[in-house]
Amino acid sequence: MRLPPFQYLLPGTVKEALDMLHAHKGKLCIAAGGTDVVNRLRQRLLTPSYVMSLKDLPELQGIKKRKNELLISAGTSLREIAEDPDVCALFGAVALSAGLVAAPPVRNIATLGGNILQETRCLFYDQSELVRKAALPCLKQGGKVCLAQKGATRCLSVYQGDLAPALIAFDAKAVLKKAGASRTVPVLALFSGKGKQPFTVEDDELLTRVAIPMPKGRYGASYEKLRMRKGLDYPFACAAAFVSLSAKGVIDRARLVVGAVGPAPVLVEEASAHLVGRTPADADCEAAAACAVKSAHAIDNLALPAAYRRKMVKVIARRAINGALSGAGA
Amino acid sequence: MAKIEKIRVTLRVNGEEYPLFIAPYLTLFEALREELHLTGAKESCGRGACGSCTVLLDGRPVRSCLLLAAEAEGREVTTIEGLGRQGALHPIQEAFVSHHAIQCGFCTPGMILTAKALLDRNPDPTEEEIRAALSGNICRCTGYKKIVEAVKAASAKTAPSGAIKTAPGSGE
Repeated sequence: MRLPPFQYLLPGTVKEALDMLHAHKGKLCIAAGGTDVVNRLRQRLLTPSYVMSLKDLPELQGIKKRKNELLISAGTSLREIAEDPDVCALFGAVALSAGLVAAPPVRNIATLGGNILQETRCLFYDQSELVRKAALPCLKQGGKVCLAQKGATRCLSVYQGDLAPALIAFDAKAVLKKAGASRTVPVLALFSGKGKQPFTVEDDELLTRVAIPMPKGRYGASYEKLRMRKGLDYPFACAAAFVSLSAKGVIDRARLVVGAVGPAPVLVEEASAHLVGRTPADADCEAAAACAVKSAHAIDNLALPAAYRRKMVKVIARRAINGALSGAGA
Repeated sequence: MAKIEKIRVTLRVNGEEYPLFIAPYLTLFEALREELHLTGAKESCGRGACGSCTVLLDGRPVRSCLLLAAEAEGREVTTIEGLGRQGALHPIQEAFVSHHAIQCGFCTPGMILTAKALLDRNPDPTEEEIRAALSGNICRCTGYKKIVEAVKAASAKTAPSGAIKTAPGSGE
């Protein structure tokens, strides 16, 4: 199927890109790698007047290691992230999450920024215009009904990005720029928690990079993804965990994040109470993982049943915690 | 909305430059087939899931249906027509034929290009590496076994550049 008509914008600098975003606010869509956006254009889920390419912006490319943080520019491809020696050595869970996205041909052009800011998905929404028109418009389309859950009053389309949960586990920060201004927010704060409008990013803002702080002491992290096949699938549920140990070998920091079970990744704050202050041998991984289930708002709007996804949240959360502990050398 | 203006895009495909004047919303897949009449890339799912539209961009496999033609400007595009020469198949193509790795043939260009990208970087891949590299290409006929065998056989015949390996001391 053909894409809908749009004008193509090709800024040569970030400043030019920000000016274009400002000038065409609300009528412009950004295509970084384009692997998500082009499909959404094809399905007429997006019908912008302008599509802006980021291909000629070298400032948005590359990975830099600094003393206290690792900077990954938003236009860096997922393949580069998955293969980068610094990302692999320092933030293996991030490299792993990038390497598990879709399949190699997609990872070759899909970008960090595009993966983080991919739209939420739902079996009833991510359909061709023809199929969507056969039913009432759903909440995400601006209608009044949820086609996935009778009586639902808020959209529970699912955020299925792989990288955000891993980045949130490391407490990464995102840098957003707009004409004349810039702000840095935790990656977690990019998400509104609302399926209809999942991001807090303004229409004229551009995600330019992500900074992952270097953890102190011994630490480990892990990423687990529930999917039906090893290639191509979005996560049906995912979990990322981070733990760091004090000099005495006690867990002093623990972050468990679950994803693909609601409109945003969720930092499971209660989980750390079962881990922090204990030695890895005494950590109650089972109880920590059980906390994740309460954060899972899965409904039947993906190809796997919600009941199964909810049950598996606990399993993959436990695996992620165990993986993080073993990564920390526990 | 204002009338959509066509844009000038120069594509470099299989070593040749093609200046085009096209609609900005044309995908690379559409430009290859409709403007350059290179019909080797196939449309199957039309949404980036199957891999039958695979081409190489700077030597790496990508979905041509997910890429705007304008995004490929300044990059080297390789299609299945760029492999082999008149009357001589590329060793990977030969291996696909001799190992019966083709049935309906719709996925074959994408499989062969993906295999080429793999063998150019990893001339002697394990079966697991072959399967991982091909994990984005779907075949609904063969069951993959023959395809994996063909790539393995081709790996024994190809050098990193994709050229045919020559026997030691042959002077080439």
